[in-house]
Amino acid sequence: MRRPLLVWAIGTVVVCLGALGAVLGLGYAPALGLDLQGGASVTYKPAHQVPQDQLDQAISIIRNRVDALGVAEPNISREGGNIIIQLPGVKDQQRAIQLVGQTAQLFFRPVMCTAPPYTAPAPGQPAPPAGPPSCSSSAAAGQVDPTLASVPSTPKGSDTSQSNVLLPEINSTTRFVLGPAILNGSIIKNASAAVPQSGGGWQVNFTLTSSGSPKFDQLAQQNYQKQVAIELDGTVQSAPTINAQSFGGQGQITGSFNESSAKNLALILRYGALPVQLNQQTVTTVSPTLGRDSLHAGLVAGLVGLGLVMLYMIAYYRALGVIVVAGLVLTAALLWAIVSYLGHSNGLALDLSGVIGIIVSIGITVDSYVVYFERLKDEIRSGKTIRSSVDRGFRSAFRTVLAADAVSFIGAAILYWLSVGAVRGFAFYLGLSTLLDVIITYSFTRPMVVMVGRSRLFTEARWLGVARGLASTAAPEPDSAPARSRARTPV
Amino acid sequence: MSQRRGGVRGLGSRLYRGETAFDFVGKRWRWFLLSAVIIIVGSISLGVKGLNFGIDFKGGTSWEVVAPHVSVDQARSAVTPLGLGDATITVLGGQTLDVEANVNSGAAAHQAQVKQSVTNELASVAHVQPSQVSINDVGPTWGHEITTKAEYALLAFFLAIAFYITLRFEWKMAVAAIVAVIHDILVTAGIYSLSGLQVTPATVVAFLTILGYSLYDTIVVFDRVQENTKGLASTGRLTYTDMVNLSMNQTLMRSINTSFVALLPILSILIIGAQFLGAKPLQEFGLALFIGLASGAYSSIFIASPLLAMMKEREGRYATIRQRLSARGEAMTLLTPAAAAAARGSGSQQGALVRAGSGGGRGDRSRQAEVDGGAVTGDGGTPHEDGAAAESADGAGRRPAPTPAVRPRPSSNRGRPSAGRSSPRPRKKGKRR
Repeated sequence: MRRPLLVWAIGTVVVCLGALGAVLGLGYAPALGLDLQGGASVTYKPAHQVPQDQLDQAISIIRNRVDALGVAEPNISREGGNIIIQLPGVKDQQRAIQLVGQTAQLFFRPVMCTAPPYTAPAPGQPAPPAGPPSCSSSAAAGQVDPTLASVPSTPKGSDTSQSNVLLPEINSTTRFVLGPAILNGSIIKNASAAVPQSGGGWQVNFTLTSSGSPKFDQLAQQNYQKQVAIELDGTVQSAPTINAQSFGGQGQITGSFNESSAKNLALILRYGALPVQLNQQTVTTVSPTLGRDSLHAGLVAGLVGLGLVMLYMIAYYRALGVIVVAGLVLTAALLWAIVSYLGHSNGLALDLSGVIGIIVSIGITVDSYVVYFERLKDEIRSGKTIRSSVDRGFRSAFRTVLAADAVSFIGAAILYWLSVGAVRGFAFYLGLSTLLDVIITYSFTRPMVVMVGRSRLFTEARWLGVARGLASTAAPEPDSAPARSRARTPV
Repeated sequence: MSQRRGGVRGLGSRLYRGETAFDFVGKRWRWFLLSAVIIIVGSISLGVKGLNFGIDFKGGTSWEVVAPHVSVDQARSAVTPLGLGDATITVLGGQTLDVEANVNSGAAAHQAQVKQSVTNELASVAHVQPSQVSINDVGPTWGHEITTKAEYALLAFFLAIAFYITLRFEWKMAVAAIVAVIHDILVTAGIYSLSGLQVTPATVVAFLTILGYSLYDTIVVFDRVQENTKGLASTGRLTYTDMVNLSMNQTLMRSINTSFVALLPILSILIIGAQFLGAKPLQEFGLALFIGLASGAYSSIFIASPLLAMMKEREGRYATIRQRLSARGEAMTLLTPAAAAAARGSGSQQGALVRAGSGGGRGDRSRQAEVDGGAVTGDGGTPHEDGAAAESADGAGRRPAPTPAVRPRPSSNRGRPSAGRSSPRPRKKGKRR
């Protein structure tokens, strides 16, 4: 009996401290939310209800833009029907927000020539000519012009429809010099990815609007047997060669597509730039100073609160209070490890409401101990030995803890699924702490209390005595003898 | 002076030892009335004044900047020329300047310009870069969205909790628990309306925490009630109300400790985080929690449990017990947790509870201890189980409860210390021995 308990207790300590050691060793730390480290956050809501794939498409377009900003750990997520963009630690917050939210367009541009990947010109070499990129006279359409290697791509936001641009192709190192835009995405009525009946790879079928059809035929005639690039947001999505002069309102794009790239191109054609009209709901910028101050305030408040709780527990429950302190330390270690790991792997950010959730959960965590210990007192009062009280007390206390924690957890889970913003972080950390509470109560508190219950040092010593205050209740001075003799009786 | 200190210490140690027997259910109308008054006053205020919603709910812009040396007046004279004459300006923790205003009208370009110039103005007043000013800009429809979501979440929360409690316990407990939670919502909303404290997302978080705490507390008491009342109908020696009272006394020390322990971190948030360090969400959060925690602890004890007792007493089997007992003039049996425990220790779980009341005082418990001790030695070290002394206890338990077993209604109890569970005389006697 003694050994399994010891295994449980030591196992828990090893797991908790091991997990903490592992994340510390790996250098993981909790990812701080932008209200704790400064940064910017924008919430967008679609102007109309839109299907899931459009929203996902909008998110991927926004993600591309954010990646271009060079923010270290951006977090772009869908919450309910909203898109939330968080840019922790971003320097120029106003510019970032402007860039992320702007409405880009889908353009059809003629391909002038192809350019090799960009390589910075070696020192001493002449700088490339300023102004709009152009192909040298030797490079005809579709051919690679090696002189463009040192010309940088057109930066995002500068790809105006009227001028020549040098843009990279998506998922490739190829770049194109493109002429001014001929058409924009509004001519496309619908597009879908499909496998042609003749078999073979994927292709994209599209239909044109009635007003767009003649315009597209015009484009086809001008660029017959030449490449036309489909540009979105500074990236060439595809550059098919026009193989007909008249399309009659519909056409196919074939090439080396796989299922996902075909579907992606179809989505882009269908929805144009941002597939949904997004309205800005909230913009929050937090200065690094204020973020640091909030973090500091939250940490100090949490630690002082935790310290006071520990002191009270030791003062009230003596030896058992030490178990509470040890349990809280283990819970904290495990929580830190989990939060650090999730912050690293899933980009879960610890924000101020999360810190508050954790501070509040101290109360719920300690309550499990209080339920158990008060139960223990009940059992001892009813004249049972400490040993049997410890087991019986745990069984009924654990039932109570499970019921009460279940209520907390259900509440937290519902809040997490159904709410937005600050409430979500709070609910997540409250739910996580509730789970950890159940685990630690079973795997650490239970064996520890049983072991302490078997030690006479803890049960009867003057200052540590768990049973002392109680034994004297059941029987004051002279009557304490039976209680003690029971405690010594072998079980 | 020693009199009073002694009284307080007396209560403390009685609580610690489980020697209280408060009649929570019997005095229920007094608590119901108190709550009704608070809720009615709050509802009137809600109807007349409503709640003071922050910008997250009604739209608007807030600027925050760390500026220890800037006063509210200085900040106001800086932003008034920019058209923010009606801005709410506060200084948090003596160092964080907070300006709130609604500039969501007019052309978008004009709005953006106003917002930018306020940012620049505040930065220059605080002698920092404009990037050091934190801005929270909330569109007018956002508040509607989060309010709707919160309402759905609340509804789903109630349904799920009601379902869980019904499944785990019974539907009457679910009703009582949810009435208590609604009570907390109404009380807190009323206090917020009366005091004009601002309602922010942090307040909503706090509010949801309150619901959690309140339910958590209630569940702990109900779990004990359910355990205590198992088989009550078949033994029939205590009414459901008695058992609810006993359960509450048994969990009273736990309720006090838990509330106190929950209060410590919240006080820490409120005093250290908000006052000294000036973090705005911490302040909003701490205040709401403080109000809610008190309301939650109160409603678990004074609303949920008495309500449960009232509903259960309407059930035929428990009504029968009550009628039978009251016909014998034994209507109200207030057991102390210690007495109940002593009884339980001596015999079978439920049947002995009545007999337990019989002693009530000290003498019975010490007698009990002797019986126990004897049983253990007599058995030559066999495990001490419930059944060890069951024979004698059950024998006693089957007798009709002797008169001292039953505690008369508290109102008629004055001057009858012999039956008192905590009257000073028996205890003194115990010490003298």
